[in-house]
Amino acid sequence: MVDLSYIEVENLRKTFTVRKKREKGKLLREKEIVEALKGISFTVEKGELVGYIGPNGAGKSTTVKILSGILNPESGRAEVGGRVPWKDRKEYVKHIGVVFGQRSQLWWDVPIVDSFSLLKDIYKIPENDYENRLKELTEALQLEKLMRTPLRLLSLGQKMRAELCGSLLHRPELLFLDEPTIGLDAVSKLALRDFLKWENKEHGTTIMLTTHDMEDIAALCSRVMVLGHGQKLFDGKLPELLERFDTVRTVAVKYDTDDPKLELPEGVEINKQDGEIRITYSPAEIPTANMLALLQNAGSIREMTLQSENIDYLIAAMYKEMDL
Amino acid sequence: MRAYLSVFRMRLKMELQYRGAMIGGIVCQMFFGIVLVALYHALYASKAQAMPIESVATYVWLQQAFFRMMVATDQDLYDKIKTGNISYDLCRPVDMYWFYYTRIAAQKLMGSLMRGIPMMLVAFLLPKGWGMTLPYSISGLFSGLLALFFGLLCMCALENITMAISMRTLDPKGIAGMLGLLMVTFSGNLLPLTLFPDSWQKIITMLPYAQLLDAPIRLYSGEYPVSDLPLIIIRQAGWAAVLILLGIWLWERNRRKMIIQGG
Repeated sequence: MVDLSYIEVENLRKTFTVRKKREKGKLLREKEIVEALKGISFTVEKGELVGYIGPNGAGKSTTVKILSGILNPESGRAEVGGRVPWKDRKEYVKHIGVVFGQRSQLWWDVPIVDSFSLLKDIYKIPENDYENRLKELTEALQLEKLMRTPLRLLSLGQKMRAELCGSLLHRPELLFLDEPTIGLDAVSKLALRDFLKWENKEHGTTIMLTTHDMEDIAALCSRVMVLGHGQKLFDGKLPELLERFDTVRTVAVKYDTDDPKLELPEGVEINKQDGEIRITYSPAEIPTANMLALLQNAGSIREMTLQSENIDYLIAAMYKEMDL
Repeated sequence: MRAYLSVFRMRLKMELQYRGAMIGGIVCQMFFGIVLVALYHALYASKAQAMPIESVATYVWLQQAFFRMMVATDQDLYDKIKTGNISYDLCRPVDMYWFYYTRIAAQKLMGSLMRGIPMMLVAFLLPKGWGMTLPYSISGLFSGLLALFFGLLCMCALENITMAISMRTLDPKGIAGMLGLLMVTFSGNLLPLTLFPDSWQKIITMLPYAQLLDAPIRLYSGEYPVSDLPLIIIRQAGWAAVLILLGIWLWERNRRKMIIQGG
């Protein structure tokens, strides 16, 4: 008997047929088969917080839609907590919560508390439980003062908090977040991340998050999966992923003298600007200690900063290398 | 069951928010009513028809009063389909067909009562031959109301079919326009069905469109005797069942074939 993981996905495939605009001189429109998922497999344990990244069109949302029971896959197997998402949809969806960052589940014209109480009836949440949970969530998400406000009057950040509250009222075991921080300001993003960490820790909710914001992943996810062209390309911890692509370092130095005697080996890129010298090197070729020694020999240093590459550049480099 | 009642209540509440649209709707429908009645007066001045002018006017006013029940669409639902927000509704532990059916019913009921009641009050005050007359009998009124309920069941089913089809075409305008044309013609909104030639009427009154408002109005005005009520209800319920089953089948087919585009 093999122990099953909470989410089991094996060889999941999905294709879409895209009808193209009719070309001149042809009678019929051409169809193109797009393979959105080309056989994805992974497992997720209960209570895990997993990031799911990849460029636009990689198949992230398709995976989420299949796992939330909206789409039927072409072939492959998926089970969440022993249930198959696209079979017996009504029973399955009781146990999951979904937030689509670019869509809204709450009613536009009515106070958000009314939308919540509709969700209470939809999920058949007992009155007592609903009151407690609503209180807990509105406190954690700072929604108390907004409960009687119609959704249309809320800011984007407030809206996202309200959406999250709506998705968690029925205490789902599993929460899918599809780009939850899209368009949010720094304060809202930080608050949202704190909340997700709290929900994950406090209630053991398994969270699967797709995003383009690497800060989200860095702050939240113990594990990250990279998807590209419908295939899984990486599955592991974020630092491991970064190590593989974090190949260059940049040092910016300012010397007391205007003309320091810098003698650096070949393969090092040097940029001088306004008295500041920016040196880009690869720690694999020249260890950082050696580089620092060389810089010190050149003259007396007034100011120096050592930077690693911005995380977004790393991901861009990675996508490029993986040919995405 | 609570979920469906709850969405019904919520949609009623939402409809109440559009009071501006309500006043606009009343003015528009009143205008149409008066123009139509004036048209029939002109027609009758040259050659009187079998149906008395008072009955025609009552027919026109009732059609206008419940116009919204018949052709109003839930823009919110179409927007959901168009933008993909429908994906949220698909993640709910409810039956999609009935979830939308109750929403549609709430909108049609509230929307038409809000407009219809003030309109009928005004229409009663208009001079004889221009306004509405009282029901033929008390039992006529009640059987008309009962038939209106069954008519509403058919209307919601028709609307949900349009909804299901527009999930495939993405833009409801084409299909809604086409079905809407059939509706206004064969429901008696454009021209009272009683004014169609007798041979036509035999077929037209069997169509689902005649079950919506035409049958209730004729019961109200005594055109159909109350003794016809069981037959009328059977016809209405039959159509409602057929249309509901067709709608459920279309929704189920959509669910299996659906693609939600974009992010």
